[in-house]
Amino acid sequence: MTLSPLVLVIDDEESMRDSCAQILVRMGCRVETAADGEAGLRRAGEARPDAVIVDLKMPGIGGLEVLDAVRALDPQIVTIVITGYATVDAAVEAMKKGAYDFLPKPFSPDELRLIIGRALERRHLALEAERLRREKKLIEDNVITLVSHQLRSPLVAVQQYFEVLLAGMAGRLEEKPREMIRKANERLTGLMNLINDWLDLAKIDKGGLVGKQRPLDLRPLLEKQVEFLTPLASEYGLVLAWGESPVGLPAALGDPASLEQVFSNILHNAIVYNRPGGRVEVRLGEAEESVVVTIRDTGIGIAAKDLPLIFDEFYRVSRGESSGAKGSGLGLPIAKKIVEAHGGRIEAASVLGEGTTFTIRLPKAPPENERR
Amino acid sequence: MSASSAKILVIDDDPDFREAVTAILASAGHRVVPASGPDDGKAKVLAERPDLVLLDIMMDSLFDGYALCHAIKTAKEFESVRGTPVVFVSAVKDIAGSRFGFHGGADGLSAPDDYLDKPVKPADLLALVDRFLSR
Repeated sequence: MTLSPLVLVIDDEESMRDSCAQILVRMGCRVETAADGEAGLRRAGEARPDAVIVDLKMPGIGGLEVLDAVRALDPQIVTIVITGYATVDAAVEAMKKGAYDFLPKPFSPDELRLIIGRALERRHLALEAERLRREKKLIEDNVITLVSHQLRSPLVAVQQYFEVLLAGMAGRLEEKPREMIRKANERLTGLMNLINDWLDLAKIDKGGLVGKQRPLDLRPLLEKQVEFLTPLASEYGLVLAWGESPVGLPAALGDPASLEQVFSNILHNAIVYNRPGGRVEVRLGEAEESVVVTIRDTGIGIAAKDLPLIFDEFYRVSRGESSGAKGSGLGLPIAKKIVEAHGGRIEAASVLGEGTTFTIRLPKAPPENERR
Repeated sequence: MSASSAKILVIDDDPDFREAVTAILASAGHRVVPASGPDDGKAKVLAERPDLVLLDIMMDSLFDGYALCHAIKTAKEFESVRGTPVVFVSAVKDIAGSRFGFHGGADGLSAPDDYLDKPVKPADLLALVDRFLSR
């Protein structure tokens, strides 16, 4: 905003245009002039001035019409009217139409300087307020994303250094310090997961995590998850596979991004709370009004007393002291909130020591011919 | 390790992250050009003509990574470096929270050639560089 302000003077009297221009240029303004309303509006549209000074009484398009048109063009342009016949009525009318001030003819250079100075100051403040409002809105709309970024950034930097150390890229590391760094890194991963989940939960509560729902074939969505998590399953020594699922199932109504997270959370649990040599099975089916996803594991199972509580925030089934990365205790509550925001249901059944089955029911999309 | 060495532009506003990633790339004999933000990165894509760009997503403003990737893929000023592969390296998922959507780029914007989650596994990063070098 180092550019000097641009003022457009619209007056049919040449002497008036010239004297205004002279005064304004000496104030440090850039000036454009127009001899009638029509030419003035054309210039206003092209040059987008900061301020317009317009004579009320001109042949052709009059000053009041010019005021209306300038306001329609950009309400932030400040307007000042010159009233040749210094009647209160005309000035009042102009102010009602949004003029910032008026100058009764004849006026002195000082009067013009004072009024235009105030007008430009006001415009500057209005534009600044507008800019701040926009910036604030952007931040408000994305506050969770911003917070999560600020929380994650330092963790990422620390973990990245650890990765370099563990890879021996900053010199050879003895066994003992290597082991400690590995553990420290795992704890940070746990903290990172906690931050991510906590912020996702906040997003759901603000209504921001579940996007626009559309008819959705769940099979490719699940296939991607299975493919993505297969390396993790192998790491845990288990098989992640599809169970018997009919083809040609109807579409569900859903938001792919958030549902992806539901399946990812549940599959992840099914893998990490499993036993070596175990199995995780994904099946797709349908009921009367819903598409049904079943995820079954051969894991440690959940005790009957714990089962009603697993979808509560921060509830974690106690299984003694364990080292390494822990879940945040938020994966299932997030999954439940997302499924319920879809109008669906999620349930768990389990036998301790044998495994757990999660069943997710999502409403079917209406048939093709009933859509829209 | 790799048969050839590459010139890699790392655009990230976190100096510590740049240092750590530089150590990984240097260990395989690659040359790293660091850039501290979107503007610096933009200038260096043109001036340095890197073999590969590693690009953070959230820097000065919310999603400048998306914007810069889109510019490199489509804007006239980047015509001379149009084929340069761009890889997102970021801890954010996409705006909607999808890992796979993130991979594809945001709404209406050009997708990157690949992406890596932060923190980056050294072996994954080096394998990715080799993959792009052999193209």
